[in-house]
Parts: sequence; C-alpha cells; structure tokens
Amino acid sequence: MNIRIAESPNHRVDPVQARRAPRRWYRDPLGCLHLTIATVLAERGVEPLDPLGAGWGFQYLPDHVRAEEFYYPSAECDLGPALAPHHPLGAVWSATPDGEDPLSTFIDTIAAGGLVIAAVDKHHLPFRPAYHDVHAAHLVVVYGVDRARGLVWVSDSQPPAFSGAVRVEDFLAAHASANPADEQDAFFSDSTIARRYLTVELAEPFPELDESGLAAALRANVAGFLATGDEKTWTGLSGVRRYVDSLVDASSAGEQTPLRQAYTFGWSMQATAYLHSELLRLRGVQWQRPSLREAARSVQAVATAWTPVRVTAAHGWPDPRAGADALSRHGTRLVSRYEEALDAVAALGES
Amino acid sequence: MQQMPNRSAAMTQRPVDLRPYLNNVGVTTIADTGSGHFNVWRNSFAAEDLPDAGDRTVVEAITFQLPDLGSPEPDNVRCDRQYIPVPSGYYDWLYVLGAAERRVEDLVGLHFADGTVDFEPLRLTDFWAAPPAFGETLAFQTLMHYPQHVQFGVPARMWCQRVPVVRRARLTGLRLPANTAAHVFAATLVGGLSAESDGVGAEEEI
Repeated sequence: MNIRIAESPNHRVDPVQARRAPRRWYRDPLGCLHLTIATVLAERGVEPLDPLGAGWGFQYLPDHVRAEEFYYPSAECDLGPALAPHHPLGAVWSATPDGEDPLSTFIDTIAAGGLVIAAVDKHHLPFRPAYHDVHAAHLVVVYGVDRARGLVWVSDSQPPAFSGAVRVEDFLAAHASANPADEQDAFFSDSTIARRYLTVELAEPFPELDESGLAAALRANVAGFLATGDEKTWTGLSGVRRYVDSLVDASSAGEQTPLRQAYTFGWSMQATAYLHSELLRLRGVQWQRPSLREAARSVQAVATAWTPVRVTAAHGWPDPRAGADALSRHGTRLVSRYEEALDAVAALGES
Repeated sequence: MQQMPNRSAAMTQRPVDLRPYLNNVGVTTIADTGSGHFNVWRNSFAAEDLPDAGDRTVVEAITFQLPDLGSPEPDNVRCDRQYIPVPSGYYDWLYVLGAAERRVEDLVGLHFADGTVDFEPLRLTDFWAAPPAFGETLAFQTLMHYPQHVQFGVPARMWCQRVPVVRRARLTGLRLPANTAAHVFAATLVGGLSAESDGVGAEEEI
C-alpha cells in the first residue's frame, strides 16, 4: 500500500469536537472500510450508496492482500478511484511519521469541519469485543480530541456500535499497534497499524446521481468486466475466473496463505457487489424501474455467492487440500453468478 | 393426471428428526462459552436465552423440535450435503430454524417418492447482529457468546425461514446443500394436505 506521509504539524488548538457525533451508518455485509467512509459521506450530506454503489467490478492484485479488515485491492494511496470510480471522491491513506503526534493532524481536520478515519487494533479499544483478547486491524471515525483531559472521540458503527470518548492512551495504543500475529484471528492480525489514517475528500458540490449518470456508470462497469487485465492486476470476468482457479489450485497444493487471504480479499469484492445491488434496488424503487430491481437481485446473488467461498476458506485454511473440492464448487458457482449478473446489468443498457 | 390424496382441512406439521446429523456446537452456556463454534470466530448463541432442552417450540404457529441446547454436544446441522429421510407425505413448506455465517443462498434437494428431485432455495441471514435479509422472521435473539466472554450489544439471531415444496408429490427426503456457512437447528414439514405418513425414515442414503 502506498502511504502519504503527513507534513509536520504547526500550531494546534484543542480540545476540538465535531458539532455532533456522526450518525452511524451500518449494513451487515460491509466491513469497516466502507462503513467508515459511508459514515463520513453521510455527515457531508452525500448519500453513501451513490458513490460507493455506482461502480461495480472485480480487481485482484496478486501478492498484495494485507491481513486487515479494511483491505481493498488498490495499489494507490488514494482508494477513491477504486471505491467510487464514477464520482469525484478521494479516500487517501496517510501515516503520521515516527516521533510526531498523530493527534495534531486529526485536530486540524476536525477543526476545519472534517472527520478522520483512523486505523486501530481492536485489542486496545475497550468497547470492542476483542478488547484485551484478540488483535485485529480495524477502522473508526475520529470526531474529537481533548488532550488536556486525555480523551479521543471515536465512532464505530459495527456492533456493538459505539460513539463516545476513549482514553487517549488507549486510542494511541490502538493507533500505533504492531497488531501482532494472533492465532485467534488469522485474517486481520499480523499487519502493523502504524498510525495510518484515511481522509475523505469530496468535490463541492458533489454531483447528484441521476438516471443518465447511472446508465453511464453501468456501461462503464460492463466494459470493465469485459476488459482483460494483466499479470499484476486481475480484473473483470477473466479476473474472477483466474482468481477462482488460482484459489482452487492453491488449495489443492496445500497452500494456506491464499485461503486465509480469501476471507479478507473476498470481503472487499462481496461488499462491492452488495453496495451495487443496493443502489440498483433502491433506484429501481425510486424510479419505478422493475428491470433495475431485477438486475439488483442478480448482483445481490454475486454478493451471497462470495459467502461460501470466504467461509469455506476461513474454516479450511489449516488443511487446504481438504477444502479444495468445496472451493472448486463454490468458485464455479461464484463465476456463474458474476456471468448472470453481468448479463442482467448489460441488458439494462439495451432496454 | 396423478390421483391426489384425500384433503384434510387441518394443517399437517411433522418435525424432521435431525438428531443423527447434528455436527456443530452453536449454542453454549455462560459457564462454557469456549465450547461454541458457530462461526470461524467461535461465537455462539446463549443457551440461557433459548428454550429448555427437550421443549417443543412454536414459532410462526409452526411446532419445532429443538435439540438439547447448551451442552457441549452438537446442537445443529452445519450443511454438508446430508441426505435426510423425512416422514413420507405431501407437504407445502419446509420450515427451518436456522442461521448463517454471513448471508447464505443455496439449494435444498427435495426428493420425492417417484424419484423426482426439485432444488429449492434455502436463504438464511447472518446470525451476527444482522436484520433479516431474506424475509425471515426472528425466532430467537440471544446474547452473543465469545470464547472468553459474553458480549452485550451484538445480538445472536436465529431465523424462521421456509422452503417451498411446489411439487404435488410424496416427499421422502431432503438433501441439504454443501455450504458450511448454513446452519439448521430444527426443521418441520408443513402441509395443507393429509401427510399420509408412512413413518419416519423410509429410506436411508449416504
């Protein structure tokens, strides 16, 4: 992952707080990356499904997956073009250098009316079930800092949802954690947090998504699925097939890492399909377009077809060969669901 | 045209005996939360919030026979292509009490006496703090058990879902999907016609 190194702080003033706790935005198929960005978007008055659901594709970067709940397959420090390819949205990774105060940048952003999405290790956050039990990389929205009283305000929409203050030492421990390997979490541990944070950047005014805009997005999505990637970036339908084949081959060969990573990587693609299906469904209702709702259902089937791939890999990684047949079966079905959904979406452009 | 059996005004309900197929511990007591393994994180339902062992349970006016819950023994069927003989009869619905690890859509094979098989959808929502995604009703909600503690604010939910039996023919068996994310705690066949049961387990198949 590319990281933008934050510039040295100048003069800081705190305490600083947002005018209110962000309204938590939660959908159970999504991980913390989409949930936190959606929370920030909603606070800015943007319907999160518009930018996050308009794009739908597949992208896998070999040897790139990190053991983090917020992993997304993009080699850029700005995830915006990958997460919202049809909207002027930036989601830029930065990291506070060693020896500098990470809260200073947060204070500046919040004082300017913004919010910060901070990477954390759940092990250090008292409101998380993993507190003092399991190490796992996660994201929270930071909306206030009071260094004099030693408090940082964080919002986390993932159950058990939390909005409030935590002790600054807990937050900083979570934010600077090495997130060491934890046998209780083979999917989101063993990946240093390293005081990384995401900043969401929006063009003002943010464009509304109308029917012609969605139609253009759908055409671009279909074109993306039909394009071929390269050795470093497996994209589109051919990328789905290639990824499934590689996962089954790895399982048959007894390789554990690709199976562990399937749970992590698969969530990013499952979330992408879910968001797209939800956008199509809701716009299909709003615009009274039954075909849009039917396409939404086909895309939803892609999202749920990821479940047995991810769960089989998650349970089966200690003994990869034992799960090869099941992964082959589920992978074949996943490919079929992509093909069916792509047909349904492509047909929208023809009607 | 097939001769239909005599109709009965009463709705027939026949629990499916899942005991030989239980293979997963999805419910634990507060004294032994570490024995649960519903999902990969080893979360489990709280037995204290569920019916007592041996109770028949009515959900949506359907009577289910739940297994013993809260013992260290398996209490649900994690779907792995099990073939389950059922009380032979004519049915309209297969009702299940179940839940999933993430959202699941898969197919149940409905086997009929004449050898025909229909595959019908089994759709189950995530048990982990999720709203129903497939029109299920909430059967039970419990505290979430973690291996080392009991968690407030993360409800564990068990759903009442149904699978249609469209074919007007004598059902004899079920083939569960090969989907490790899908769990079934109880199942009951429901018909508006007389089930004319031949007894449980007319056939066995591995």
